[in-house]
Amino acid sequence: MPEGFLEQVINGLMMGSVYMLVALGMVLIYGVMHVLNFAHGVLFTVGAYVCHLLLTRVTGSYALAVVLSMGVLAVLGIALEHAVFRPLRGNLRSQVIASLGLILAIENTVVWIWGPNALQMRIPATQSIVALGELHFNLHLLVVIGVTFAVVAMLFLFLKTTKLGTAIRATSQSAEAALVVGIPVESVHRFTFALSTALAALGGALLGPLFLVFPTMGDEPLVKGLAAIILGGMGSVPGAVIGALVIGVAEALSTLYFPTDYRDSVAFMVIVLVLIARPQGLFGVRMRGED
Amino acid sequence: MKLAAVAAVIAFLYALPAVASGQPYVLHIIALSCLYAIPAIGLNVMLGYTGLVSLGHMAFAGIGAYTAAVLMVDAKLSFWLALPIATITAGAAGFAVGSICLRFRTHYFMIVTLAFGLLLHQVMNNWDEVTRGAAGFPGIPRPAPLAIGDWSHSFGPLAGFYRLALTGLLAAFALQWAIVRSDFGKVLVAIRQDEKLAGFKGANTMLYKTTVFALGSAIAGFGGVLFVSFLRAASPDAFSLAESINMVLIVIIGGAGYLAGPLIGALVYIAVPEYLRAANELRLVLFGVLLVLITLFAPQGLAGLLQSGWKRVRR
Repeated sequence: MPEGFLEQVINGLMMGSVYMLVALGMVLIYGVMHVLNFAHGVLFTVGAYVCHLLLTRVTGSYALAVVLSMGVLAVLGIALEHAVFRPLRGNLRSQVIASLGLILAIENTVVWIWGPNALQMRIPATQSIVALGELHFNLHLLVVIGVTFAVVAMLFLFLKTTKLGTAIRATSQSAEAALVVGIPVESVHRFTFALSTALAALGGALLGPLFLVFPTMGDEPLVKGLAAIILGGMGSVPGAVIGALVIGVAEALSTLYFPTDYRDSVAFMVIVLVLIARPQGLFGVRMRGED
Repeated sequence: MKLAAVAAVIAFLYALPAVASGQPYVLHIIALSCLYAIPAIGLNVMLGYTGLVSLGHMAFAGIGAYTAAVLMVDAKLSFWLALPIATITAGAAGFAVGSICLRFRTHYFMIVTLAFGLLLHQVMNNWDEVTRGAAGFPGIPRPAPLAIGDWSHSFGPLAGFYRLALTGLLAAFALQWAIVRSDFGKVLVAIRQDEKLAGFKGANTMLYKTTVFALGSAIAGFGGVLFVSFLRAASPDAFSLAESINMVLIVIIGGAGYLAGPLIGALVYIAVPEYLRAANELRLVLFGVLLVLITLFAPQGLAGLLQSGWKRVRR
């Protein structure tokens, strides 16, 4: 029993890490641009496919493929921001509806290019097993957790200590005031989008070797990422981190007590219950732009 | 004049099976378009007129569909009894879920409707004893023939069912028309334009929104029953998040807030690609791109474009 419990905690931390990368991207975009990008899940999927492509056809090195796929997705993010989200700024409903259109367009482009069947992503780390006391884990599981925590730590440092990070935080507090003190808000938007889509790509590239790479692989991280943001408080970066870990671990532990068929319901229940009981989330960020 | 034109179109649509008797495929596609247009009308009342972007709309079509399936197959009820019961059940579910979701606005509303939609889809997918689970619910009957005096009509053959689907669509359309014309509908538009102001003017906006959510869900449930009776089976994936998103797309492309919007949207969504014979994923890519283009350049949708084009022609 304790072993099973610990095993599920590690599994939950791994999935929570993946959700965290998606949630952070959405929360950054929401903070700066006040819009939820529902297409974030398909960008996660594209990240995994691009990583798969680079790994098998170009580099042969997984680490390099991951980094390059983040770069590719950052460029895609800038393009989307420029072509779709910028012209619709100020019209929240249209932005969300456009992001729904992007889901359909991007997901089916993936099917068109790579076909509907799942692809395997073979890397050495999934073949080796690590022993932790009584428990044995796939090494890549720990890689996912380690890399995510390192990246998130760097993100926090970046937001707190660098000029650009401060500009992002300032813009998310008040775009007008940021403009007044000379922050190039347009560039901040563009950079935030690139950063967010790169984080989504990292999530997809990390999850790819553990599960398979398939066209709807981003759906679950999208919904769980949304649940994490709601739980943590919309617009709160630390909230997204804690929220994602809580959701990941909670749904992994739920499999010990409930049929696994209902594992996904944990996140939906969290969304509904948190919004009813404490709509501002755990970290109490104010509900903004919502009147 | 206008009335005569409408009557002529309706008469033509009912006579279509005789005209296109050698073309069962065309009839099939048009029947399917009718069946997609019904839930789209329900969503148009919510999204187009009231401004409520629900991302879980098809879940309520699913509630109607599965309620009717259980009533017809397990309880051996007739279609004509199951249809109203399932419609009311979907409406009641919409009322219950709506009264929770409508406490939130904008993003929060979308996320909660999305969560409820996924939750309901999970139930359809996993509650094997009742819904038969992920494999789908087989053996849903077509309606029994109707006989009034000497006149009788059977719904088993395609032509017969097409007329039923058309009648269902016309009923939903008439309801939409009645809602939009009524004082109730005018308050809905006021809520879309400025909810606070509508509240200050004395409208109980929460009650209006909950009622319209229930109505939209009931219309979706009604369409869901016809849909599974047409296909003779129900599958949870017909009521998934992806289908709910496609419904939003149908309404927006057709023209949200236009009476004809859902009809045009469903026809474009179902029928046009059949003629283009495009590969399925390419068709969905095109629709995704079309949706983005419409939000960027023609937010009033195809119905709005047609209307402004017509005005220009008449001038």
